[in-house]
Amino acid sequence: MENLNSYLIVSAILFSIGTIGVLTRKNAIVMFMCIELMLNAVNLTFVAFSRYLGNLDGQVFVFFVMTVAAAEAAVGLALMIAFYNNRESIDVDDVNLMKW
Amino acid sequence: MSIPILSILVFLPLAGCLLLLPAWNCRRLARPIALVVALTELTLALWLYASWKGLAVNPFPQGFLLLEDAPWIPAFGIRYTLALDGISLLMIMLTAIVFCVGLAVSWDSIKERTSLFLSMMLVMEAGIMGVFLALDLALFYLFWEMMLIPMFFLIGIWGHGRRLYSTLKFFLFTMSGSLLMLLAIIALHLLYAQQTGVSSFQLQELLKVQLPLETQLWLYAAFFLAFAIKFPLFPLHTWLPDAHTDAPTAGSVILAGLLLKTGSYALIRFGYPLFPQAAQMMTPLFYSLALIGIFYASLVAFAQQDMKRLIAYSSIGHMGYVAIGIAAWQPVALSGAIIQMANHGVTTAALFCMVGMLDERAHTREIAAFGGLWGKLPLWSFFFLLFAVTAMGVPGLNNFVGEFLILAGTIKSSPLVAVLAFCGIVFPLIYMVRLVQEVVFQKERQPLSLNDLNPREIGILAILALLDIWMGIHPAPLLEMLHVPVQLLTGGTP
Amino acid sequence: MDMITIPAVNLTPILPEIILSVLAMALLLINVFVQSSKKTYLSYISFIGVVGTAVLVGSGWGTHIESFSGAVVQDNFATFFKMIFLLAAGLAILIADQYMEREDCNHGELYPLILFTVVGMMLMAAGTDLMTIFLGLEVMSVSLYVLAGFNRANTKSNEAGLKYFLLGAFSTGFLLYGMALTYGATGSTRISVIATQAGQMGMSSGNILFLAGMLLILTGFCFKIAVVPFHMWTPDVYEGAPTPMTAFMSAGPKAAGFAAALRLLLIAFPTLQADWSQLLWVLAVLTMTVGNITALRQDNIKRILAYSSIAHAGYALVGMAAGNSTGTAGILFYMLSYTFMNIGAFAVIILVGKKGESNGNVQDFAGLGFKHPMLAVAMTIFLFSLSGMPPTAGFIGKFYLFSGAIQKGYIWLAVIGVLNSAASVYYYLRVMVYMYMKDPTEDFAWTKVSAPIALCLVLSVAGTMVLGIVPSIILQYAQEAIKLI
Repeated sequence: MENLNSYLIVSAILFSIGTIGVLTRKNAIVMFMCIELMLNAVNLTFVAFSRYLGNLDGQVFVFFVMTVAAAEAAVGLALMIAFYNNRESIDVDDVNLMKW
Repeated sequence: MSIPILSILVFLPLAGCLLLLPAWNCRRLARPIALVVALTELTLALWLYASWKGLAVNPFPQGFLLLEDAPWIPAFGIRYTLALDGISLLMIMLTAIVFCVGLAVSWDSIKERTSLFLSMMLVMEAGIMGVFLALDLALFYLFWEMMLIPMFFLIGIWGHGRRLYSTLKFFLFTMSGSLLMLLAIIALHLLYAQQTGVSSFQLQELLKVQLPLETQLWLYAAFFLAFAIKFPLFPLHTWLPDAHTDAPTAGSVILAGLLLKTGSYALIRFGYPLFPQAAQMMTPLFYSLALIGIFYASLVAFAQQDMKRLIAYSSIGHMGYVAIGIAAWQPVALSGAIIQMANHGVTTAALFCMVGMLDERAHTREIAAFGGLWGKLPLWSFFFLLFAVTAMGVPGLNNFVGEFLILAGTIKSSPLVAVLAFCGIVFPLIYMVRLVQEVVFQKERQPLSLNDLNPREIGILAILALLDIWMGIHPAPLLEMLHVPVQLLTGGTP
Repeated sequence: MDMITIPAVNLTPILPEIILSVLAMALLLINVFVQSSKKTYLSYISFIGVVGTAVLVGSGWGTHIESFSGAVVQDNFATFFKMIFLLAAGLAILIADQYMEREDCNHGELYPLILFTVVGMMLMAAGTDLMTIFLGLEVMSVSLYVLAGFNRANTKSNEAGLKYFLLGAFSTGFLLYGMALTYGATGSTRISVIATQAGQMGMSSGNILFLAGMLLILTGFCFKIAVVPFHMWTPDVYEGAPTPMTAFMSAGPKAAGFAAALRLLLIAFPTLQADWSQLLWVLAVLTMTVGNITALRQDNIKRILAYSSIAHAGYALVGMAAGNSTGTAGILFYMLSYTFMNIGAFAVIILVGKKGESNGNVQDFAGLGFKHPMLAVAMTIFLFSLSGMPPTAGFIGKFYLFSGAIQKGYIWLAVIGVLNSAASVYYYLRVMVYMYMKDPTEDFAWTKVSAPIALCLVLSVAGTMVLGIVPSIILQYAQEAIKLI
């Protein structure tokens, strides 16, 4: 139990760092890196639980998360490049053509 | 009875819209088609009137003369139920007549998008017929909302002045009221389902629900709000002067002649029977709103410069009497209120027609622009005088009958209200005399070259005038028709 | 640890997904060999594929097949939603071609991407394991990011894609964390096992891990279905994305979000119903109110519909908050009606719009009623349906949802709902005021209506009216679909 708790605390801290990063950073790539941090925090949680509970579901989940994160990265970077081509910036403050 | 005549009444106008499609771009063809549809409706209504005594020999439960019933949305227990009794028969006749008048009066004046105009009129007729005939609350709600849509377009497209503002205001006012009523309908339906295990929206079924007083009050409040906006009762009336003023003539005729009546009709048909105790408790409020309406509207009417606006405010005043007659909930007063609905429908429709005719000629409705019309437009002036006198409530003409019955009925239960309302009768006298005096008799203020009425217009007005006189002298057949349903509603024995 | 045994696999439940994936991949290959002027054929092929899949899905009605040891299921609930997704995709494919040609971005990849999105949505509706739902969600989302930013040359489209991607990925983080915590609390990712575990161990709001898991999952879904306060991306993405994709996004993925959320909340988290019901009550009120109020002051018609779609998510949340059979069946019916009326409205917007996404303001609709009467009549029907006037599908849908709320005793929620409905009438009427009651500001020729768009309009009008006048034909399916839940 002691062990599980420390893993969970670490992953919660990582997740929070990621969340705060997304909310405060302006550069789209850095924001995306923070999102990756969040996903990896989740992976850590899954693995910790998997080990603690003694079943493999959590670890299988981690594989899927990693695959999906890779796919997301491919698409996300492509979108950023398209944006950069038109605006020569990937600062989210420049993502401002539409405002409510 | 194998022919579903009530369904025909409701759906014939819609079929008429389809008939208009081939003649869409041909004004000369479209107008007769629409008029023929409206006249067929009138014939059907009159035929029902001629045969109601035969139907009354063998009535359906609850004294209905005709009943058409079929399942519609079984999942919710919604049925397609139309029913006819004396009250709805009177309203049906009024609807058919007013629509013929509306089509005839706009025969020449609607020059653009005529086919769209005609189809909107027909859809409207279907909606109003449906409101007066539906007995299933969900079906009733459907028609209730359906009649808003064509009116929205009628005012918005063919209106004048601030037509967009007026039409939006009209739509939003009436829509918000009716949405709360929808919730109340659903709640009533669920309570019924809870108590009986069967789901239904039919009035006869829902009447059996046992409601605690508090629930009843809430539900009644929601219904009352929807109906009071249509009525319109005092603080909720502000949409009416705008809508009436900016609507095209036919629109004003239908608004005043029919749309206002749907509110009072629904209150009689649904509001009171479903929530008797709550309605009883709210009577003082109802009385005071009606009285305030009578006095307030009359005072405001007195200050109006626009003839249409003046008549619009006078409508609020007249409907106040209908409200008092309903609030008394007593056979004499209720018959008076129902008769008064028909009377007011005919008279106000006629007045709006007349102002419309004047507007077409002079392109203004300012009272101050006219004067001395008696010499220049003798026919117009004659009819105007007649209808103005009717609106004042002079004995021998129809408004007198209604107002007399209402006051005679009310004085038994609440003399104070009757006395106050009686004082209110003076007001129409004042503002109508002023109107007639300024427009018809005073010296000409500016030279106007106007043509007098043409045969079509004389025909319309003559029919309305005859109706006014007939209903004023000999209302007995209509009262006889109302007798049974009114007795049933007020809990007496027919 | 035990040996990993490979369970018996029955492919029937995911046959539609397989077919669509194979078709999409084939189209990607074919696309390479098709000249850019002939890309229309790809739309025909994919439309036929969608229709064929719909027939296959429909034939599975009434069956209950579990596969992949309970990770995927074919039941009526999934089937109903799959039909909605296929309908949304079919209609979107019909309206895409003319638009894409006008905007000069007629790349053939569009259709495979739509099909992949449908595959993702289907997995979400059919998934009975957190993993399947997550995978479905991601397949859907990743395709949608691309679709939102599909018009590469258009900066607004770029923005839409980027914004959607960043916020979508961000919300995925929350969803995943929630799934991880739920897994930790119950020891399984299988929905049915979660439910039994929670029931046996008496997990309710006292169990922080379980509660936090549910809340985080709910947050993730709230992003996807644009619930206030997680709606910030919606207007921008809807405005910037190519219009056919906006139409598709507002109908399909939203329904998918509701499908997965319903299954999770009602099957995995019934022990927490008191909590999520209260929470959804608040969210529904916020979503309806903010959506409608903000829509009042918009001029861009796509933005109006974006905010209105937020409001409509709010109406559906009313049914979800009720959580009873009436409310749930109401959501199913509402999503179907919404698909018809909203995609129909977007089809009209496409026809009114001009190259470069211009001509998209309410003012540009001036005079449409008389220049193009049929188009205006169709738009009028859609708008009245969106505002919930009888006799249209929108009315029956709202009627159903609010009935659910009243049945549950959420009277005030229903009252706030109808008041919102009344407020929303204003901005729908505004469009009609422009169409019928104002003269056009400039004279211009209207674009021709191509056959596919005409078909889409006819289908949407028919759907909107039929569901409004004789809803019984669908209501019984909606009621059967939720029986298992």
